[in-house]
Amino acid sequence: MSSYSELIKNFERIRAYMREFYIYGFKSRDDYSKKSARSYDDERRRIESWLGSHMSFVRTPEGKNVFISIDSRSIRHNPFYNAWKAKSFTDGDITLHFIIFDILYAPEVRHTLAEIMDLIDEKYLSGFEFPMMFDESTVRKKLKEYTSEGIIVTEKEGRKVYYRRGVDVDICGLNDILHYYSEVAPCGVIGSFILDKSEHHEDNFTFKHHYITGAIDSGIMAALFIAMREKRALTISNLSKKKDLPRRCRIIPLRILISVQNGRQHLVAYLPEFNSFHAYRLDYLSNAKLEEVTPRFDELRSELDRMQDKMWGVNVKHSKWGHDHLEHVEFVIRIGEHEDYIIQRLEREKRVGRIERIDDNTYRFIADVYDTGEMIPWIRTFICRIVKMNFSNRTVENRFKEDLKAMYKMYGIEEVAE
Amino acid sequence: MIFSELYSAYYNTVAAILSKIIDGERSERELQKLVTEKAFGESVLTILPSLKNEKWQLIHSDMTTTLEHKPTMPLTTLQKRWLKAISLDPRIRLFGVEFPDLDDVEPLFTSEDYFIYDRYSDGDPFDNEEYVRQFRIILEAIRNHSQIRFEMINRKGNPMYVRCYPVRLEYSEKDDKFRLVTAGCRAVATVNLAKIKNCTHYNGEKQLVGHERDVKYDTVVVKLTDERNALERFMLHFAHFEKRVEKLDRKHYFIRIKYAHDDEPEMVIRILSFGPLVEVMESENFRNLVIEKLKKQKSCGLR
Repeated sequence: MSSYSELIKNFERIRAYMREFYIYGFKSRDDYSKKSARSYDDERRRIESWLGSHMSFVRTPEGKNVFISIDSRSIRHNPFYNAWKAKSFTDGDITLHFIIFDILYAPEVRHTLAEIMDLIDEKYLSGFEFPMMFDESTVRKKLKEYTSEGIIVTEKEGRKVYYRRGVDVDICGLNDILHYYSEVAPCGVIGSFILDKSEHHEDNFTFKHHYITGAIDSGIMAALFIAMREKRALTISNLSKKKDLPRRCRIIPLRILISVQNGRQHLVAYLPEFNSFHAYRLDYLSNAKLEEVTPRFDELRSELDRMQDKMWGVNVKHSKWGHDHLEHVEFVIRIGEHEDYIIQRLEREKRVGRIERIDDNTYRFIADVYDTGEMIPWIRTFICRIVKMNFSNRTVENRFKEDLKAMYKMYGIEEVAE
Repeated sequence: MIFSELYSAYYNTVAAILSKIIDGERSERELQKLVTEKAFGESVLTILPSLKNEKWQLIHSDMTTTLEHKPTMPLTTLQKRWLKAISLDPRIRLFGVEFPDLDDVEPLFTSEDYFIYDRYSDGDPFDNEEYVRQFRIILEAIRNHSQIRFEMINRKGNPMYVRCYPVRLEYSEKDDKFRLVTAGCRAVATVNLAKIKNCTHYNGEKQLVGHERDVKYDTVVVKLTDERNALERFMLHFAHFEKRVEKLDRKHYFIRIKYAHDDEPEMVIRILSFGPLVEVMESENFRNLVIEKLKKQKSCGLR
C-alpha cells in the first residue's frame, strides 16, 4: 500500500475535486460516492496542504462539508496555481536534475554524455554512503526530456554530441509585468512559474471581477493554444452533462472564448464529421491529442470571425449546409431625467446590435443573434425600465414575461396602477 | 507540459535550500523556514528529511553539498512562449520596460486565439500617451512609497487637487479599467486612473498620515431554486466572492455572499439577472432594492 504524499502524478482527478470544493462547497464526504472514501480524504488533505487558510469546513447534519471560499479581490495571487506546482517525481529525478545543472552551470560549458556520466559518479555521488546508480539510458533520457523542454541544447561535432544549458532570458526588469499578467493573461500560471524564479516579490496589483477558477483548466487551454498556433486538428475527451463517461471527438479548435462576467471559458471548434461549429466548456475537456495540420484552418477561422458578429455569448446556430439561424431581438427602455448613464451602460455593455433613440426618454436596442436565450440575464439587468419587447423567438419572450410575473409574486408585489 | 516537476514548489524549495547551504548556512531551523515559506503545508515532513537522509543525494549529513554553484535553470520553451505572447499585448506599453530578446520564439497565443466576449467596451485608453505617462508615475511612486499629486473632477463636477500615497492598482477584468487605491488622503480613497489629470511626483516636504481605507462589507442571503442549471450558473457567476452554501432540500439552497458595500448597485442587478430562480432573503434593505426595481418594472406596462 503506497503512503500518502502531498504531490500528485495526474492532474485530472484533483481538477474535479478542486472545482467541486470551490464552485459548490455544500457537499459532504458521503456525496462523493463515486470515489472511494480514502481517495476523497487524500485529495481533501492535499488541497488543504496547497491552499492552507483558503479551505473552510462547516458541520451539518449530513456531515462535515469542505469548501474553498476566496474573495479574489483580497488576494494578490491565484491560490489555485499551487496545484500546478505539486507534480510528483522520483528520488532519481530530483537528484539528477540538480547535478546536471551544476555540471552544465554556464551556457559556455558543454559535455558529452560520457563525461556527464563520469562526473555524476565520481564528483557528485561517490561521497554518499549508498550512492545512487544512474545508467546511461536514464541520463540520456533525462537530457532528451530537458532538450525538448528547451532548457538543454545539443550540439553535434562529428560523431560526438555535446550538451549545454539553454540560453536564458533576463527577467529581472519584469517584476510588475509578471505580477499583472500572471493574473490576467490566459495560462497565467506560466507567469507564476516565472515569478517563482525571482527572490523578492514586490507586488503592486490587485484584481476585481477576477475569476480564478479558470486556472484549473490551464493545462487544456495551453494544449488548445498549441494546436491553434500549429493549425492542427485535435482528438479530445468531452464530458457531456448528460453522460457519465467522456466522449472522444475529433475537432479543429478555432478560438477560446472567455467570459469575465460568468467565469466560464469555452472553446469554439469545427467538427469535420458533422460540418458544424460547436462551443465546448473548457472545464469539461481533457486528454487532448494533437493530430495532423489542417489546410482549412484559416478558412474556418474567417468563418468564425464572421459569425462572431451574431454571437452574444458562445452559441452558434449554423446548419451543416452553411445557413445561419438568426433570431431578432428588440426591446425598448425608458430612462428618467439625469439617467443618461443608463444609455452609456447600454452602449458599453452591448456586444452586438445597435441602439436607436426614440425620444428623450426612450431608447430601443435591436440585434440579430444566434441565441436570444443567452441575452436574457443581461436584459434582466434593465428591469425597472423595460417598456416593450419583441423577440422573434416567442418562447423566450414569453418565458421572460412569465419569469417577471413569478418575481412579482415571489416578492409579494401587488398590481400597480399605470 | 504545464504539469511538470520543473515548475514544482519542491524543486524551487530545494534550489533555495542548496543556495543557502552554498552560502554557508547550516542551521536546520533556517532551512526549514525556507520550506515553510516556499512549499506546502505538509512539506516540512518531506523535503528536509529526504535531503538529510540522502534519499535525494544532494546534501551530506553534515549539511554540506557537492554542488559548486547555486542552482539555476534557464526558462523553458513554454515559459518563453508565454512571455512572447504577453509581449504582444497592447497593455504592455504601460510598463515602459524593454522586453528581453524573444525574436526567435513563437508566442503561445496571440489576440486571434482568444476573445473576451463580455468585457465592457469603454475600457481605459491604454494607447493614450498621457494615460501611459501617468500610469508609470503612479507605479513608480507605489514602488518607492512616495507621494504623488494630481487633479480630478469630483462627483459634483468641480475640479479638485489631490496629494496622496498611491498604495496599489486594482484592475477590473470586466471593466478593463485600473483604479488607484490611495492612502493619506481623506477625500479620495480610490479613483479611476482614466479620471486622473496632470499627475506628477510630489517632491515637497509635507508628510501625510493614514492608511488605505478599510473596505466596508455587507452580506446578502439568497434562496436559490435549482432549475435550468441555476445552481451551477450562480455559483460560477459569484465564484470570486467569499460565500457559504447550505443545501435545504434536493432543489433549494441558501447562499450567503459577502460583498463590498460600494458594489451594492452592481450586486442588485447581478442577482436580478437570475430572475425568479434566486430570491433575496436578507438583508431587508437589499430585498427592498430588488422590490423597488420590480415595482417600477410593473409600472412600465410591459405586456
